[in-house]
Amino acid sequence: MFQFLTKLDYLLRETLLGLRRGGWMNWAAVSTVTVLLFLFGVSLQASWHLEGLLNRFGSQLEVSAYLDTGVQAADLKSVVAAMPEVAEVRAISKEEAWANLIKDLGMSDINGATKQLEGNPLVDELKVKAKSSEGVPALAQKLEQMQGVDEVQYVDEAVKRVAQLNRGLSWISLTVITLLTLTAIAVITTTIRLIVMARHREIEVMQLVGATTSWIYLPFILQGVVFGLAGAVISWGLIAGIQHFLTNLLTQQPEFVQFLANGLQLSPLRTILLPLVLLGFGSSVGVMGSLFAVRRMALR
Amino acid sequence: MTQSMTGQSSSSVEKTAPPPGSNAMVSLRGVSKTYANGSKALVNVNLEVRRGEFLFITGPSGSGKSTLLKLLYGEERADEGEVIVDGNHLSELKGNRLSQLRRRIGVVFQDYKLIPRRTVMENVAFVLWAQGFARKEIHRRLQPALKMVGLSHKANCFPDQLSGGEQQRVSIARAIVGTPPLLLADEPTGNLDADNSWQVIKILKKLNTVGITVIVTTHDESLIRLSNHPAMQLRNGVLYRPIAQR
Repeated sequence: MFQFLTKLDYLLRETLLGLRRGGWMNWAAVSTVTVLLFLFGVSLQASWHLEGLLNRFGSQLEVSAYLDTGVQAADLKSVVAAMPEVAEVRAISKEEAWANLIKDLGMSDINGATKQLEGNPLVDELKVKAKSSEGVPALAQKLEQMQGVDEVQYVDEAVKRVAQLNRGLSWISLTVITLLTLTAIAVITTTIRLIVMARHREIEVMQLVGATTSWIYLPFILQGVVFGLAGAVISWGLIAGIQHFLTNLLTQQPEFVQFLANGLQLSPLRTILLPLVLLGFGSSVGVMGSLFAVRRMALR
Repeated sequence: MTQSMTGQSSSSVEKTAPPPGSNAMVSLRGVSKTYANGSKALVNVNLEVRRGEFLFITGPSGSGKSTLLKLLYGEERADEGEVIVDGNHLSELKGNRLSQLRRRIGVVFQDYKLIPRRTVMENVAFVLWAQGFARKEIHRRLQPALKMVGLSHKANCFPDQLSGGEQQRVSIARAIVGTPPLLLADEPTGNLDADNSWQVIKILKKLNTVGITVIVTTHDESLIRLSNHPAMQLRNGVLYRPIAQR
């Protein structure tokens, strides 16, 4: 324990000294890491959001059957539920659907709207969940041919396209992030190598008086970690700030837009995950950069 | 922790010691060293320095004095022959084991090798930090070391505020603050006038009286005559033993 404290005492002192000597080079390193982590965080969040949005289009297993005018959803429900490929059926009456739509559109006077349109324009709907995604097209066809079913909708090409777009975006961001990671590592390597060179006299003396290699170079590695962590904190602050701003902007929009934006809400798990991922990624980049910087000197 | 650390290091050093009770601090057997450019620094050098001895090695510059000391603290490696310091075969030591041995050797350089941006106190404490001493132990050792070289009153000065002699004394304090049993001084008086040179030699003699083995290289034969210690001469890499005393 005591030895650990001694080490900590030494490491913190030397790391701080290194940072003080680094001067403006510190900012070069930290800002590169910040840019990297900011883009990384934004693209990670974007892909999470797109995923969430895709889920809102409906489950890939779900088929919506819109019934003919006047046909009650509850009447057909038991028939559909008896089909072998069906896992679950939910009936939505037209009144329920109308109330939801009115709300989504941001209107408050449901009776007024109904009166204007001379009655509820919607029809009853059955939400049918298939047992497997391969069975969805066949199920859709079967439902379409049923008496009383007017139209059938399920996750189709359009949504698949969005999913493809999501994948494409992921590839682009992966490429950009890889390039930026290399840049950040290079900048950290250069920064730390400059500091190592500036302190070569001290390092020489340390070697001569019997300091071990890890004892000499650990403060430099820690310095790299500090760069990474600082970048992570700043970029997370930026992302959180932008998100806060966007959320504020959204609350002033009509409820329909808010309805769409609800899909953009991250789960609490991911809200915690984002800073953790940033901190982890940042410190790994810092460790890599500083390892490259001291490797050549340490191996002598 | 200091106690346990030095204890640890000495025990790991002793593991490699050949015959126990051997009284040689340093022994060189048939050692030759040729640099990459072909210049022969040392030719078949045999030397034994017993614990507690004080030995001068003299000779013109370029005769191999520095190389000899570098072999002892592991900065250079012998091409031929054996270098044994405090029971350790230098050719077998690498990495952390070499570091552990270096903690038991104090080295003083002609150019002092002080760190310009640190005060006298920090320069001396720096060695202890580097060796992993605790803050409290470092403070405990600083004053005696500075007092030994007569620089307690300059503890907070920077090296460029000191004279050459004072700077050399700081480097001696730095070499002995870890209480090594062996002290190597490579031309410690090379840049100093006669008075300061003699002061440095006096400090080294004082350290010798408390049991530290001291090896000093110098080209100043008047110092050797004054100090009344054995001396050997290196010429073109060949060691000639004892040159005439007085």
